[in-house]
Amino acid sequence: MLKLILSAALVLVLSGSLRADKAGDELFRSTVAPLLEKHCFACHNDTDQEGDFSLETRSSLMESGMLEPGDPDSSQLLEMLVGSGGTRAAMPKDQDPLSAVEVQLVRDWIKSGAAWPEGFQIQQAISSDLDWWSFKKASRPAVPFSAGDDWSRTPVDRFILARLKSKGLSPSAEADRLTLIRRLSFDLTGLPPTPGQVDNFLQDPAPDAYEHLVDRLLASPAYGERWARHWLDVVKYADTCGYDKDKLRPNAWPYRDYVVRSWNQDKPYGRFVQEQLAGDVLFPGDPDGILGLGFIAAGPWDFIGHVEVPETKIDGRIARHIDRDEMVTNTLNTFCSVTIQCARCHNHKFDPFTQQHYYNLQTIFAAVDRAERPYDVDPGIQQKRQQLETRIAGIRQQREDLEKTIRDAGGEQLRALMKQHAELVERASMKPKHPAFGYHSTIVPGQGTTKWVQVDLGQPRQVARVVLRPCHDQYNGIGAGFGFPVRFRVEASDDAGFATGVTLLEDQTTADVVNPGLSPWQVTSPAFKARYVRLTATRLAERKNDYILAVSELELFDADGKNIARGAPVESLDSIEAPDRWRRANLTDGIFPQAKDEAAAFQSLEVAAQVQKIRARINTPQRRARMGELARQLTAQEKALGDLPSGRMVYAAATHFKPQGGFQPTRGTPRSIHLLHRGNILNPRTPSRPGTIPIGSGFPVEFALGDDHQEGSRRVALARWITRPDQPLTWRSIVNRIWHYHFGQGIVGSPNDFGRMGQLPSHPQLLDWLAAELLGNGESLKSIQRLIVTSSVYRQSSEHREAAARKDGSNQFLWRMNRRRLEAEEIRDAVLAASGRLDRRMYGPGYYLFMLEKTDHSPHYEYHKYDPADAATHRRTIYRFIVRSQPDPFMTTLDCADSSQSTPKRNETLTSLQALSLLNHRFNLAMSEHFAGRLEGESADLAGQVSAGFRLVTGREPAEAEHRQLVAYAREHGMANLCRLLLNLSEFVFLD
Amino acid sequence: MRHTTTHSRSVSSPRRQFLQHAAAGLGAMALSTMLAEDPLCAGEGTPGALGGVLHHPARARRVIQLFMGGAASHIDLWDHKPDLEKHHGEKSDFGEKVEAFQNGLGPWMKSPFGFRPHGESGKWLSDPVAPLGKCVDDIAFVHNVVGKTGVHSQATYLQATGFQRPGFPGMGAWISYALGSIRDELPTFVVLPDHRGYASNGPKNWGSAFLPADSQGTTIFPQRANPIADLKPQARFVTPASDQDGLALLGRLNRDYLEQRPGDSRLAARVRSYELAARLQLSAPEALDLSSEPAHILTSYGLGNAGQKYPDTINVPEEAEYFGRKCLIARRLLERGVRFIQIWSGNDNSFPRRNWDSHEDIQRDHGPLAGGMAIGTAALIQDLKQRGLLEDTLVFWTTEFGRMPSTQGSKGRDHNPFVFTNWLCGGGIKGGTTHGPSDRWGYKPLDRENPTQVYDIHATILHLLGIDHEKLTVRHNGIDRRLTDVHGHVIDEIMA
Repeated sequence: MLKLILSAALVLVLSGSLRADKAGDELFRSTVAPLLEKHCFACHNDTDQEGDFSLETRSSLMESGMLEPGDPDSSQLLEMLVGSGGTRAAMPKDQDPLSAVEVQLVRDWIKSGAAWPEGFQIQQAISSDLDWWSFKKASRPAVPFSAGDDWSRTPVDRFILARLKSKGLSPSAEADRLTLIRRLSFDLTGLPPTPGQVDNFLQDPAPDAYEHLVDRLLASPAYGERWARHWLDVVKYADTCGYDKDKLRPNAWPYRDYVVRSWNQDKPYGRFVQEQLAGDVLFPGDPDGILGLGFIAAGPWDFIGHVEVPETKIDGRIARHIDRDEMVTNTLNTFCSVTIQCARCHNHKFDPFTQQHYYNLQTIFAAVDRAERPYDVDPGIQQKRQQLETRIAGIRQQREDLEKTIRDAGGEQLRALMKQHAELVERASMKPKHPAFGYHSTIVPGQGTTKWVQVDLGQPRQVARVVLRPCHDQYNGIGAGFGFPVRFRVEASDDAGFATGVTLLEDQTTADVVNPGLSPWQVTSPAFKARYVRLTATRLAERKNDYILAVSELELFDADGKNIARGAPVESLDSIEAPDRWRRANLTDGIFPQAKDEAAAFQSLEVAAQVQKIRARINTPQRRARMGELARQLTAQEKALGDLPSGRMVYAAATHFKPQGGFQPTRGTPRSIHLLHRGNILNPRTPSRPGTIPIGSGFPVEFALGDDHQEGSRRVALARWITRPDQPLTWRSIVNRIWHYHFGQGIVGSPNDFGRMGQLPSHPQLLDWLAAELLGNGESLKSIQRLIVTSSVYRQSSEHREAAARKDGSNQFLWRMNRRRLEAEEIRDAVLAASGRLDRRMYGPGYYLFMLEKTDHSPHYEYHKYDPADAATHRRTIYRFIVRSQPDPFMTTLDCADSSQSTPKRNETLTSLQALSLLNHRFNLAMSEHFAGRLEGESADLAGQVSAGFRLVTGREPAEAEHRQLVAYAREHGMANLCRLLLNLSEFVFLD
Repeated sequence: MRHTTTHSRSVSSPRRQFLQHAAAGLGAMALSTMLAEDPLCAGEGTPGALGGVLHHPARARRVIQLFMGGAASHIDLWDHKPDLEKHHGEKSDFGEKVEAFQNGLGPWMKSPFGFRPHGESGKWLSDPVAPLGKCVDDIAFVHNVVGKTGVHSQATYLQATGFQRPGFPGMGAWISYALGSIRDELPTFVVLPDHRGYASNGPKNWGSAFLPADSQGTTIFPQRANPIADLKPQARFVTPASDQDGLALLGRLNRDYLEQRPGDSRLAARVRSYELAARLQLSAPEALDLSSEPAHILTSYGLGNAGQKYPDTINVPEEAEYFGRKCLIARRLLERGVRFIQIWSGNDNSFPRRNWDSHEDIQRDHGPLAGGMAIGTAALIQDLKQRGLLEDTLVFWTTEFGRMPSTQGSKGRDHNPFVFTNWLCGGGIKGGTTHGPSDRWGYKPLDRENPTQVYDIHATILHLLGIDHEKLTVRHNGIDRRLTDVHGHVIDEIMA
């Protein structure tokens, strides 16, 4: 390219016969202007004028004084581009300097008078060219006809054959029946055929035996499990958030199940798309309308950037900007095969999409976040829930405001005391803590809920002193005194139900107590005799917008100072029982957190009491009344909220959800979105409006929505735009994906990119014909698949033919079927199937292929501690719990999709680590033993067992030589070793 | 030259193919003069996507990346700030509005550690990292590195993969992909995580993303029964004889299978992958076995009393043992042909703190972590140097961002993504240099217009390995991706 420019310039410069001014104009247009546009214009345009300098027009350039026409050495413009004294050129900033050739062009241009054609304006290069195959409306092409065609079964074949013939190629013969049933079973259901199914098919004399097989497999529930996995690869589904801490998403799975069900139901594709973008608005009352929104929430999400950093901070805004980018990208990549993400920082370099288009798309998602929302409750209840949540947030705010007023009124004295208190608390900080924290009630939404926990001494015993030891837990930064009740009483009785003979030992139910931090709470009561001692909380401790009772130890000392409660049984109304940290038994285990400086701990209590006193003094009766009133309102509203039927939850796009730290719901008010110069949040430009990319006449670029529109109507507008029958991208995109999964290669080799950086269709007419066929068949994907797999092209042998390979080595014209390695899930499922362990129960929460530890902070996903004997993990692999930041090593070596990025086609690698996984992963070793056990039941003698095992992994009987060697090996080393070997056969992991 | 991810990548050499493509694209004449050969690729390894042909002659062939998870403080280790000592305790004034991650904008705080000059270059180091004083004349410090965010996760991604979000290959994956292996007995890219847990983002920092799976980092946990996942079968029914006989029979059956199916190189690649696996099983335990190391070496790496009982609180000898062991293993792996090694210090932010995120107390956490890190790192650099390996090995120290010169609480420091320090040492690096100063407080670069970015560091490392960072690209979902995105300048000033 550069060489061409150079030679063009030389020609022009050297050619004296051209009229100078015209030559100068032309030189500028063709060579200098593109250079200035490429290297300078992004910052030095009339709008930005960075460094008070623009070169958008001749006049603005001249005004800047940067240019002396005819005198390059006095032109500051050139100096900036060259640098002086060996230092790097000042411009362009953050980019490589211009090449010597380019600098020379600018120099020559200035020297020759800096010609600038009249009225010429430098513009940012935008590709506005819609003349590209994927933007053209798809028509229904005529099906080609080849003379003497005795190969084609379907119109698909006729398109394929015409192309083969034009390339001088011919199709391959049909594969044998064993190959066909194995191929079909894996492709359509992801599972191997059973030996019985193989026998039936091989022996089926019906002329349409193959078609029957196809129908049976398409109707199998396993079909949805296989094809949902493809979809989840593209949309980046996982069961954790990713990023730092990588928190669990315990309710992501209902979306995964929704996808499985939708494929099994053969849901019309347009409906499937609409549910995933705007189902809540378009299909109210239908759970699928909300479940589908799991699509928008499927990808990664930064917990820290949302929860720990509020939206008012720059980092919080960056996190939300990136989050919206992910939503826009996921939508346009998945449904339209458009790489819109390229236009976040600059106009798309290859496709006709500008930053404005991109940011208009961001506005579509400006009101939604990723969060849990109920999907099966009545809309009335849902509305009520939202009202209550809004009201509660309002009351909390009022309470905080009032609290601040009170603090301010306390003046210097209060401030000093509070500071002293903080220092004492620091000195009183804890000795290293034992992991057994204490007793912890279940978590409730209302503070007024009553909870109790009691100790059983076995028989009535004399007690001199009762002591409560508070907990310590950094959850929500609470630390010392975690969960200690705000109001409570302590009672004794010989009746376990505390119905009769109750002695009140301490009553703190009428006023709030000061949280004791780590100091022991001494119950002020005379000695008593009783079997049971009960702590009842009447006002719970706040945890994080919810409430609990937690106590580390309840000590009952006898007259000799011995704690007779130690090891005594503990009963309670409820308990979260999360060992080792939290369990009832921890209340009497003798383990509790202690301050390093007990004196400071006590002193801190005294200071806290003083603080309380001052506050009581400065608190006007009105304020007290107001505070009480707010507390009452809060309790009432929270109770009302807690009493609503909760509904089942799905992790999805949401405008209303439970707030968590800085992560606050928009409640349906879209954030205002601006075009960001270079994608920089600190450099906002024009406001954006709901819109999309240009794809041709008749398609809007901005959506016509009223000023008072609801946020959901933005998503509806986009969903309707995507699913228009005349949409040139959507229908081609999905049939191409289907084709890709059947042949291992798309008609377009880049399924997420139909733009100029993507690949061209190998069979453009077939692609359009399939898209038209999909629309004509009620948008039924199964009908398209049935058409494809019953075609001769799909039924071909995968055998190599040297002559054809010389013409088309990559088989892009499909003169044979492609052999493929099984995918990660297929291998794991087939191992389970061969071993007789496959549990076909569908749906539900994902099972763990790891040990989950340390969930309170950053969960640890310990794969090396996974127990393959755990029967819960013997369901199909689609139901595994997918950890985003710590992917399963076994699945990863088998090339499963990385859930952090859209994976429209998987890699297929063959590495030494993969060999080690298949040989030695504890799952495969455990399954080898199960497999061997199963075979014992299949046949009484070793030879029969070996044959049965071989059939289970390859579908065929072993040849005599194979059988002999395998039997000899099994005889020497046992069947488990033989099964381990079988699971490593190439014939097992490859499909012809 | 552009490399698309192949749908199926064989283990066999793509080099010939590459040469053909290159010859077609650039003209055969140019090839012989423009491109340099990587002599090591001629031997026992498998060339990567460059087919053993570098963009220019390399100064280094191996990399050790030391990553301090949690954000290590530049001003308490490498970047001495006398002004903080002078103005300690005074109200901090940054001259502009600052937004700190946890609003840690208390008074100026001097480092709790003393600083002293070291080496001929007279580089000032803090006392905990004084063991590296013996190495400063081999090190180039870059004090004006800037990040983009004060959020650990995004910042860690940025330093590890060149992008602020998940979905991109780690630097080691790019380098493995480009250069391939030096020898095939061990993985090309090895990661030694902090044994207590992963830092932000965990294995995504060394994942292969859209590159082939074999370019990802292989984690080694030396303390586990299987230090490399699935290295050895752990089942009673598998005996050495059943294993060996089984592999032999498997090889025969898989060879029969491939012979019946000509024209598919993947089937041969699969047979070869089992042969490579068997070699890895032999070489990995040997590489991780430190018992043959002499006492003076063990002592220098902080392993003189390995296995002793340590107190509950964080302390230098314990940290030195953990970090030193990884450093010594790294040297042994390098000697056996591993291309890229990443060593992590610091786990997640759980309690008690065992990473560099010293919001509460710089002295308490940075003291032992830095002390342990410096002992292991200094031993490694000196050991490599003495063995002649430092000449073509790059040692690269980094973290996700720095820490503020102001106080958080009374003894801690908040995040500072506005400036921090990286350093490099070894192959092609000009030792004893300090490049790109930070301002008097260590708050931002002195020259705010010309900071160093991670792209520049990555471009420089690739450059030293013989790779032009703009030419190593892979098309993924419509974009030609590279480690340095659309940025990056090679930093000439720190190269010898």
